Amino acid sequence: MQPTSVDRATSGDPATTEDLSRGIASPGRRRFLRAALSFSVVSTIAMILTPIVGFLIPPKSSGGAGVGRIPVGTTADLPVGNGTVVAMGSKPVIVVNTTAGIKAYSAVCTHLGCIVAFDPTADAIICPCHDGRFSPTNGSVISGPPPQPLPPIAVAVEKDQIFLVSG
Amino acid sequence: MASPDTPIDSGHRLSDWFDERLGARDLFAALVHVRIPANARTFYFGGVTLFLFGVQVVTGTLLVLYYKPTPDAAFDSVKYITSVVEFGWLIRSVHHWAANLMIVFLVLHLARVFIQAAYKYPRELIWLMGIGLLAVTIGFGFTGYLLPWDQRAYWATVVGTEIAGGVPVVGPALLDLLRGGADVTDATLGRFFGMHVLVLPLLLGAFLVAHLTIVHQLGLANPRRPTPRKQAVTRTPTVVVPGTTPERLKPFFPNYVLDEAIAWAAMLALLVVLASMLPAGLEAKANPIETPAHVKPEWYFLAAYQLLKIVPRDVGIMAPIVGIAILGLLPFLDRNPEVRARKRPLALLLGLVVAVSVAGLSVWGYYS
Amino acid sequence: MTIVPRAINWARQAVRPLLLAALVAVAGLAFAGATAAADPSASPDAGPATSPAVAPAPSSAPDASAPTRESCVTCHAAIDNRQHDITEQWAASVHGKSGIGCSSCHGGDPTADDVTVAMSTEAGFLGVPDRSSAVGICGECHANIERMRQYQLPTDQLTKYRASVHGQRLSEANDTRVAICTDCHGVHDVKKASDPTAAVFPLNVPGLCASCHADADLMKPYDIPTDQYQTYQASVHGKALLIDQDLRAPSCASCHGSHDAKPPQSSEVVGVCGKCHTATQALYEQSRHAKLAVGPKCWTCHGTHDVVTPDESRFFHPERPQIDCTTCHDVNDRSLVLNADRFTNDADRRCDTCHHDTSIIYSQAQAIHGALDKASAAYGIAEQRIAEAAAAGMIVSDADVTLSEAKTNLIRGRAEVHTTRLAAVAALTDAATSKAAEAQAFAEARLQESASRREAMVVVVVIILLNIVALLLWRRSLHAHSPG
Repeated sequence: MQPTSVDRATSGDPATTEDLSRGIASPGRRRFLRAALSFSVVSTIAMILTPIVGFLIPPKSSGGAGVGRIPVGTTADLPVGNGTVVAMGSKPVIVVNTTAGIKAYSAVCTHLGCIVAFDPTADAIICPCHDGRFSPTNGSVISGPPPQPLPPIAVAVEKDQIFLVSG
Repeated sequence: MASPDTPIDSGHRLSDWFDERLGARDLFAALVHVRIPANARTFYFGGVTLFLFGVQVVTGTLLVLYYKPTPDAAFDSVKYITSVVEFGWLIRSVHHWAANLMIVFLVLHLARVFIQAAYKYPRELIWLMGIGLLAVTIGFGFTGYLLPWDQRAYWATVVGTEIAGGVPVVGPALLDLLRGGADVTDATLGRFFGMHVLVLPLLLGAFLVAHLTIVHQLGLANPRRPTPRKQAVTRTPTVVVPGTTPERLKPFFPNYVLDEAIAWAAMLALLVVLASMLPAGLEAKANPIETPAHVKPEWYFLAAYQLLKIVPRDVGIMAPIVGIAILGLLPFLDRNPEVRARKRPLALLLGLVVAVSVAGLSVWGYYS
Repeated sequence: MTIVPRAINWARQAVRPLLLAALVAVAGLAFAGATAAADPSASPDAGPATSPAVAPAPSSAPDASAPTRESCVTCHAAIDNRQHDITEQWAASVHGKSGIGCSSCHGGDPTADDVTVAMSTEAGFLGVPDRSSAVGICGECHANIERMRQYQLPTDQLTKYRASVHGQRLSEANDTRVAICTDCHGVHDVKKASDPTAAVFPLNVPGLCASCHADADLMKPYDIPTDQYQTYQASVHGKALLIDQDLRAPSCASCHGSHDAKPPQSSEVVGVCGKCHTATQALYEQSRHAKLAVGPKCWTCHGTHDVVTPDESRFFHPERPQIDCTTCHDVNDRSLVLNADRFTNDADRRCDTCHHDTSIIYSQAQAIHGALDKASAAYGIAEQRIAEAAAAGMIVSDADVTLSEAKTNLIRGRAEVHTTRLAAVAALTDAATSKAAEAQAFAEARLQESASRREAMVVVVVIILLNIVALLLWRRSLHAHSPG
């Protein structure tokens, strides 16, 4: 269709900033417009590049990018009949070395959200707030007010290293 | 073709060097030095959509450098991007908002083309490519939504794929194909990630090239007068259709391009404001055994979601599919050559009814 | 609906001088009516009438007294609808299903075909047992260890019942208005306590007790209050059981006993509450309160049927209360007493009801209150700031661990109040306060970051607007050059 097909006559039309101000009489205004457009180009490039370059620079706390495994320590640190609470990301997790192997559960009591602890004398995971007791072997409620068992967390032992597996 | 009009001076030496080897100036001239109807009113909707797609390509490429597409790591990697990586929150939030705005402007562009009847002869294929772009963009939204692997992402995908599974005959197979199994699992995440970063971008690129190439070949439609049928047309630029006055034209470059650049700059400002004021959030990590109280899909699926709740299942699932199909075939169904809005009351009324009911259903779905 | 007057009524009907057969028929009718009235849920399922009507007693019934053949139902099911219903209820009951037949309670010889033999005094026919003997009839089997072994049922109910207020009144005052076995468990339609439709199922127990104890007319002769059910319903326990359907929450029987129903004495209360509130009991036992013979018990601060969720307002009256010496002291010899009447109103269950505001103990209570208030306020602020940061779109889950540590210490601090030791409470509340401050600092940092993002946004938007202005200038010059 004729009107919008390539118009050869316009192929040499002004297209650059040098030529754009042909219609402006005053050289002062022309200079001002050129300065403004230069600022435009430079500031736009700066605005776009700043976040991109910042994003590309690796953060100092490397390894935090969704690591699937969180080291807890060695089996020597956690003999059978002992337990410890560690942070997995933003969630506290209790790791207990039981006779049935190393187990890990969410350390947030299902009653009111207190952080539970392992009690070696009672051989139970006990919530200090209302004496809710959980089984260290499967996280189930032994006694007290908790309505639900502690959700289990996957744990892996390699040689003597204990890892929590998130996911 | 060389450009003999252009004086060769020191400022142009580098571009001349390249031009002699590439012929780029000619190509550029062929691409942008066109004229468009002086009364064309595009409102820059299509161009803004293109800009937003460009933003998505840039931010998406950046995000994929840190993102890990496995259920174990996806959530944590998104959290890492958002809270640890410098400007990570900005890149992710801009990606989030540009995705939403892209759909908004795509629909506005579609509405503009519909009202100005720019889909009519000879532009049927442009319209068809545009519907393809719409479908791909919705696919982007659907697949991208799962990637943060938080509760909202997970359950919206469970509901969304279930709807796909309700399509008659092919539903169960489609569900299996989408999820990569019976449930939304790591297999689903892998598939959605692959679709989102590889399949859909290539598809969108292909549709976009076709869309823009044909637009370039046929030029922008005049919203006041229909393009005459072939027998009345010659390819020479100066032919005047007998019995009509010559069309008033204006240059595409730089006039129109400059207007478009202003619109893009305004869009960039809007993106920065949205990303800063309402940054993309992150709910609790996806938990397949704990359904949240209110599972709702993204806003652009709300109309389909609400329809499904109020009509029989098969009807609710088929209606959007048939609707998109009819929309795609619109130029072949609407044979009336008239383009002026005032002379097409039926088409506009139908369009209005559809638009109002989709908007109504969406609002209803939002508040239900 | 009241049970006792009806029972009297039935008994009156039952002794009318009528022919033997008529007597049995009328008594049966009355009993069927009574059962239906006492427990609407006991009405038999509208199943086919044939099977219960001919239901033979299982021949494998291990009980020695169980009939090999239940000839009673053959006739009684055909007498009229009510008798028919009784046979159906029995057949569906735990007794019917275990082959415990009519004669186990009513006597007689179910193996005899001749009614004059089956229902003869020689065959031990009892007719309808009266209320004073019913308990003994149930006890005949249920207190028998040998008979109950196969069902794994306890056999101490009769002994407990005899020791209960109900049993005491029945045996000592021959008061047949008190609750007997059948009033709670049903007559012919006895269900297992684990059956959710049984009146004795834990969720139904408060309503069951209230069916008599909330009835002012019934309780009038005993001069006891009737508002317990009402106050229990509104209490933290009642809400948990009746609304949340939490079977761990206590019903009436959890504190008063069921068969051995009797209000716990003041000295017994700590143990009763401590059955569930183990941690709190352990802390209370360490307190000075626990060491006093007539010191405050659980109920002194928390009430009985009307226990509510405690909070920091439980320490003091909002206004200085009228101190009454007799609340805690004997008027004559000044020895310590505990005037229970002073604590019937929940608003008076406060430290300063006993400890007047010039005493040393009052200042200690004030210090404990202050420590808790401080921790509680710090936790509240931390929570609020974190919520604000979250609302600003910031990711705050990294504060979760610190916040739950603060919460753990705060809840423990609250519980520690039962020891009445300031140092013990303060150790926990200080930890809660510092953890809360840590969480708050995290939230402040996030809020600060959010604020600086928005400042940067303003700068960027201004720059973009300047760009747009420059482009608009260019546009204007362009149009000036080539209008149209």
